[in-house]
Amino acid sequence: MERRQDVVLGLVLAALGGFAAHEATSYRGASGTYPLVLGAVLAVLGLALVARALRQSGNRARPLAVHAVRLVGTGAMSAIYLALIPALGFYTASAVAVAAMPAALGLRRPALLGLGAVIFIGTVWLVFSLVLNKPLPPEIWFRPG
Amino acid sequence: MDIILQILSGVFAPDTMLAMLGASLLGVFIGALPGLNPVMAIALLLPLTYSMDPLVALGMVAGIYNGSMYGGAIPAILLRIPGTPAAIATTFDGYPMAQRGEAAKALKIACWSSAIGGTASALALMTLGPLLARGTLYFGPAEYFWVAMFGMASIGVMVGRDPLKGLIASVLGLLLGTVGLDQLSGTPRFTFDQPWLLGGLDLIVILVGLYALPPVLQLAEAADLKGLPASALRLGRVRLTRADVVSLVPTWIRSSLIGIGVGILPGAGGNIAAFLSYNAAKNRAPDPDSFGKGNPAGVAAAECGNNADNAASMIPALTLGIPGNVVAALVLGALLIHGLQPGPQLFSQAPDLVGGFMVQMLVTSLLILAVGGAAATRVFAQVQRLPGVMLVPTILVLMAVGVYVINGRLVDLWLMFGAGLAGYLLEKLDVPLAPIVLGLILGPMAEQGVRRALLIGRGDPMSLISHPLSAVIALATLGFILWPLLRRLKPRRPPAA
Repeated sequence: MERRQDVVLGLVLAALGGFAAHEATSYRGASGTYPLVLGAVLAVLGLALVARALRQSGNRARPLAVHAVRLVGTGAMSAIYLALIPALGFYTASAVAVAAMPAALGLRRPALLGLGAVIFIGTVWLVFSLVLNKPLPPEIWFRPG
Repeated sequence: MDIILQILSGVFAPDTMLAMLGASLLGVFIGALPGLNPVMAIALLLPLTYSMDPLVALGMVAGIYNGSMYGGAIPAILLRIPGTPAAIATTFDGYPMAQRGEAAKALKIACWSSAIGGTASALALMTLGPLLARGTLYFGPAEYFWVAMFGMASIGVMVGRDPLKGLIASVLGLLLGTVGLDQLSGTPRFTFDQPWLLGGLDLIVILVGLYALPPVLQLAEAADLKGLPASALRLGRVRLTRADVVSLVPTWIRSSLIGIGVGILPGAGGNIAAFLSYNAAKNRAPDPDSFGKGNPAGVAAAECGNNADNAASMIPALTLGIPGNVVAALVLGALLIHGLQPGPQLFSQAPDLVGGFMVQMLVTSLLILAVGGAAATRVFAQVQRLPGVMLVPTILVLMAVGVYVINGRLVDLWLMFGAGLAGYLLEKLDVPLAPIVLGLILGPMAEQGVRRALLIGRGDPMSLISHPLSAVIALATLGFILWPLLRRLKPRRPPAA
């Protein structure tokens, strides 16, 4: 049991429950009762978690990441990819991500990466745009000027 | 009779059969890749099923589920890496068999055992499901409310390692389920003047985030840059003899029954079924010492047990709205997408669809024999030669396209990303994700049930437990919540001197 993590988690949940319960008091009639009860129960359970963690004698380490740099890096690259979708278009942003992310994680095989990106993006285009005809964010290259 | 013909014509229509076959193949492929799992695959699949016929969509879910449970055995046997958590017990005897040159035989036993376990489980679903559903005709609003609460409490307490955190996850899920317009009064709740929140948190967007992003981050952390050498994946040709089959029949029967029993219990998954089946086979064997050293019965027990859990976990899901495991929760999500409210009324609301899905669970179990044959297994084993890091962006792209096509909103991509990061963190903190998803699914049913019951009872809270049936379900719910506490209070025996 990681005491500090559980204390923080419990406090966050208690605050979330408290906020939800407070917010629910402003809803009309029965609309607010159900979320009010749920918010209150969440707050109580969060505090129970804090109390249990504080009473615990031992403190077993529980790492939040196996490899923090790769984890944060991948999270950041994922966010950049999502931000690039409206800017570059879905397929262009995806092709960049498919080629760049494995390379950033250490894969030094450009031929495999290039081939993988072409085959994968081609398949996605075939399935989603050609067969299923789903509208996706337009490519920067094909936008009217 | 008409309904049976309608079900069979729907299931055996060419497009539905093609969907089941393709999904079964995809399922084996996903199961064979360590790091990918059926939950993630089904979560990614669900957004694509919006525009599909519901039976085609459910056929794909059934195919991926049954296929991936067998697929997990391929790396478990060849490399001692379970492709899915349910395949851990398969490594015990599968890998030693592979080491002494019997990999092909172990894979064939796993394939047969998976098909047999899955078939037995589907037959149990087809017989027990309608029986249980008939009992639910006596349910009123109070019973609906308590059934939802029972589902939340049981999965909250049983699914994770920490019952308190399980209950917290359940309440959090129910609370998230209240976001959006109140279905009864039209009052916006927790929308913060954001129009896109008026419809509530989209279940599929949250599902994809919670279940697909954490494996992506874990694959990135592992940073596999090489994949596996071809020499590790070489297989010979083998046939199972009549004597082999006859010797495994008792194991298949026993493991099927164990898997079905475990599947019906909410919260217990295929890995528990596999372990219990493996232990039962070992205890019953005349040579228990041979287990763990390459006994074919060990492979048969584990694979038959984990597949026998599959359809059985749908029994409480389809009849009561209580999923036996996360995949069953996803099936409930798939039903929601197609406008069906999971819960006791499902059998009367859409008997052709529910019946069709049961038959699909049976058909896709049998399809394992076709798609899991020697040639296919050789092909699937080869995908493990790809470096694992290549999967990181490919899954991410599939997540993005799947989520975007639901509503065509960029904000959903960020909601998915936020849910994924929260899911990763919550899993690390031992907070189970399944109760959160279940809360989103069952929340509206619970709220409508309690409010209608109170309306009928003119605001008297006792009206929630005034009927014997609602009182029994309420007591069972309370029992599930108090069970961990009672276990803690039970005096422990002093250790023997």
